[in-house]
Amino acid sequence: MSNNTISPETLRTEYVIPEKCVFSLNPSGFLAADIDGKEYKRVILTRSLPLSLPDEYICISDIEKNEVGIIEKISAFSPEQQELINSELSQRYYCPVIEKIESIKEKMGHFYFDVVIGGVKKAFAVKDITKSIRQHGDAIDVTDIDGNRYRITDFASIEAKSRRKLEPYLY
Amino acid sequence: MGKKPKRDKSPQIEKNRHKFPELLLKKLEEAGLCTENLIFCCTGDMDNDACYRSAWLSFDEKGLYIAYGTEELMKIKGKKHIEPKYTVEEIVAIPIEDIDKLETERYVSTGRLISVKDGVQTSLVKFSIGRIGQFDNLMKAFNSFKEKGEAEIPTSAEPEDKKCKKCGKPCPPGKDFCKKCGKNSAVAVRLFKFFGGYIPQIIAIIATMLLGSAVSVFIPQVSTRALFDDVLANPDGLPAAELLKALGVLVLSIFGVKLLNTLLTVIQQHLSGGIMPMVIYDIRVKIFKAMQRLSVGFYSSKQTGSLMERVISDSNNIYWFFVDGVPSVIIDTATIIGVLILMFVMSWKLSLIVIVAMPIIIVTLVFGDRFFRGMHHRNWLFGARVSAMVSDNINGQRVIKAFAKEDDEFDRFSKASEDLMNSEIKLTVSEATLFPILEVVILMLTTVVLGFGGVLVAKGEMTAGTLLTYIVYLEMLRGPFSFLSWVSNWWSRCADSAQRVFEICDAEPDIVEKENAVGFENLRGDIEINELEFEYEPARPVIRKLSLEVKAGDMLGIVGKTGAGKTTIANLIARLYDAKEGNVKIDGIDVRDLKLTELRRNIGLVSQDIYLFIGTIADNIRYAKPDATMNEIIAAAKAASAHDFIMKLPDAYETRVGAGGQKLSGGERQRISIARTIIQNPKILILDEATAAMDTETERNIQNSLTKLKAGRTTLAIAHRLSTLRDSDYLAVIDNGRIVEYGTYSELLKQKGEFYKQYKIQSEALKTIGIGTSEAETEEE
Repeated sequence: MSNNTISPETLRTEYVIPEKCVFSLNPSGFLAADIDGKEYKRVILTRSLPLSLPDEYICISDIEKNEVGIIEKISAFSPEQQELINSELSQRYYCPVIEKIESIKEKMGHFYFDVVIGGVKKAFAVKDITKSIRQHGDAIDVTDIDGNRYRITDFASIEAKSRRKLEPYLY
Repeated sequence: MGKKPKRDKSPQIEKNRHKFPELLLKKLEEAGLCTENLIFCCTGDMDNDACYRSAWLSFDEKGLYIAYGTEELMKIKGKKHIEPKYTVEEIVAIPIEDIDKLETERYVSTGRLISVKDGVQTSLVKFSIGRIGQFDNLMKAFNSFKEKGEAEIPTSAEPEDKKCKKCGKPCPPGKDFCKKCGKNSAVAVRLFKFFGGYIPQIIAIIATMLLGSAVSVFIPQVSTRALFDDVLANPDGLPAAELLKALGVLVLSIFGVKLLNTLLTVIQQHLSGGIMPMVIYDIRVKIFKAMQRLSVGFYSSKQTGSLMERVISDSNNIYWFFVDGVPSVIIDTATIIGVLILMFVMSWKLSLIVIVAMPIIIVTLVFGDRFFRGMHHRNWLFGARVSAMVSDNINGQRVIKAFAKEDDEFDRFSKASEDLMNSEIKLTVSEATLFPILEVVILMLTTVVLGFGGVLVAKGEMTAGTLLTYIVYLEMLRGPFSFLSWVSNWWSRCADSAQRVFEICDAEPDIVEKENAVGFENLRGDIEINELEFEYEPARPVIRKLSLEVKAGDMLGIVGKTGAGKTTIANLIARLYDAKEGNVKIDGIDVRDLKLTELRRNIGLVSQDIYLFIGTIADNIRYAKPDATMNEIIAAAKAASAHDFIMKLPDAYETRVGAGGQKLSGGERQRISIARTIIQNPKILILDEATAAMDTETERNIQNSLTKLKAGRTTLAIAHRLSTLRDSDYLAVIDNGRIVEYGTYSELLKQKGEFYKQYKIQSEALKTIGIGTSEAETEEE
């Protein structure tokens, strides 16, 4: 059997070296970076595998959305740097978390969800429920008719009543 | 907030005041915001920390305002509709001079509005991603106001209230009511309108059904009560011969009544069978006609499968509900009413027992149905996944085999099938548990009725025949009750299908011909593109302020990376989409002012995506000109270098192509599509990567065909391979929706910019594989 692993050199992936990549906040509070001595007034971080590996393979782009490097693992950075990276990522990937499902009612092909998010009741409608619900690991994402996304971070840990309401639509 | 500015109303301001509801404007005024001069308003749902909170953004000549508060939907006594109650808690005012421009950023679930001053960005507010379009409009209106002193209100700006007026739940864009509140009855009314032309037949059908129900209800009176009480019990003490005669008459009567019942069913089915296909035909034709009217954008946003389902499956759902469901509802309702009346007439005492037990059965049926609906849905999901996997596997067989992944695919399929199997087992076991329980309840009721009835018979209060007839009627109720307990779901599915059908019928095409649209008198073919802006999705611009000019008869080559916006330019010229801002003019006339058929008749589009319709090669070539003679077809095929390969096919021009037809290579299909365009004889020709997927020889053949086709026409050629654009009078290099370089082939090479870079890369690649080196070198010199 041959070794199937492809080396990063083969693919010429530009992984940033933590020692040569320093993140900071610009005066407006946005993330800036110094990579290999080149200063970027604002950088955008994008996860390559946002669902399965949210802390690895993070693309760094400049304000023009040109990629300037990839972080292989956030854990390779210092705690302070990690905090900056995670703060930026959590803003970009923020997703309202459903704490409780009060009801899911189907009418004329639309599913009307009454949920609680951050202690606040929220109602939204979902069309084509099979395509609007995505399970990944313990989490479930629900996308409504306007394209807004909501998340149940750990389906097993929400109350049984809520779980039972969503279960028929999962597979 | 400062002192209120002097109120002056410009038409622009007046036009957009409706953006905030009056009640909210009043509250904002009370909170100190002068709303008289607001230029543009937009509603958000989060604060700057992404916490849910009502946010109302607006701007006027003095500043940008963000008001935070709450919006509660209240049911007002005596009113049908709910009304919002607003509370304004805080208003943040940013002086207009502190903002150079606004920007929006799109994240995964949220978006952000940012102000920029001297290059420094400041986050203003976040919002749910579904609102990005509204915030983008706010940004554009504000930026144009800052730039030109006048807000250009985007044409796509619409009122934003997407809440159902009745219940406050979210409702689909452009609708006043959610599907829950608004449409059930409206859908029924619209559906029944399709039957408007068949009123006499409908009346006849309903009359037959009611008569049939009456006969069904009457049957036990003859087949049971009369048989037992009048004949078998022999109350009059008739002799055997007389008794036999009476029995014969009765049996014949039973036969006659049952025959009448069958006859009525046959008549009813014949009448329904005559109308229903015609109604479904009307519905299908209506959907198909509506689909032809719709723009390309509609098709891009819907999956082909889903649209096909609407034409075929949804109309079938409606068909079966009306063929099976509606008659059953009428018959079963009539049967229940008739049977209950007869049961009361026969014995009100026994009927009281039934009345007490009936709610238990109905509740069990309704709850059982709800319980199983969820399980059936889950089962359906697993089934759909297995079907999708089979379809995926069949379509991807070449790739599966190429990667030797047969075993992995089998494992994947096995897992999905196992899930389906487990779900089916669970469903079957649950059904096998609940239904016997229901049977026991019914059995208990029958036993009680039989026991109490027996006492009544013993007391002489009723005859044995009446009791047995009563039990038969009790049994007769079970089917109709069971059916009526789930028919509402069937109706929901039918109404859902009807809703989807009406959604297509009601959809407004994005591209609409103006009432006073003009045609070409003598088209020259000048193309002018001015400050064009376009985006398929809000806040994701594809074309940015792009301007171009092509003189009649010239050829413009457009090059650029994938996703640069090249094809979008072609789509906008052919008006398959409308520009967001700016315009495209042909012979000085905005394409939006032109008659669509004239515009499209004069633009020939040869693209990389070749589509041949089901039919013969000749049919496909004459598609644009159905009356083309065979001479013209052959001439066009020859000009497209297609004639030779067509003649090698056994049925030549009569070879069937399209789905299920003769397999043709990409190059052959492309040459047929070029022949189709030659027959069309357009004044403007757009070649969109026409030869991108071809081998060098085929490309050369097709290039020869295209050279013939280009003569005397304005041509826009979009290509990756720069060598195919050598004949262009001008070349435009597009990047990120903008023109980055413009000039002749040699001018661009001399510029040594992006075009030169691409040229070098391609030349090197060709040298490596031993093609076109001399050509490349000559050019470089």
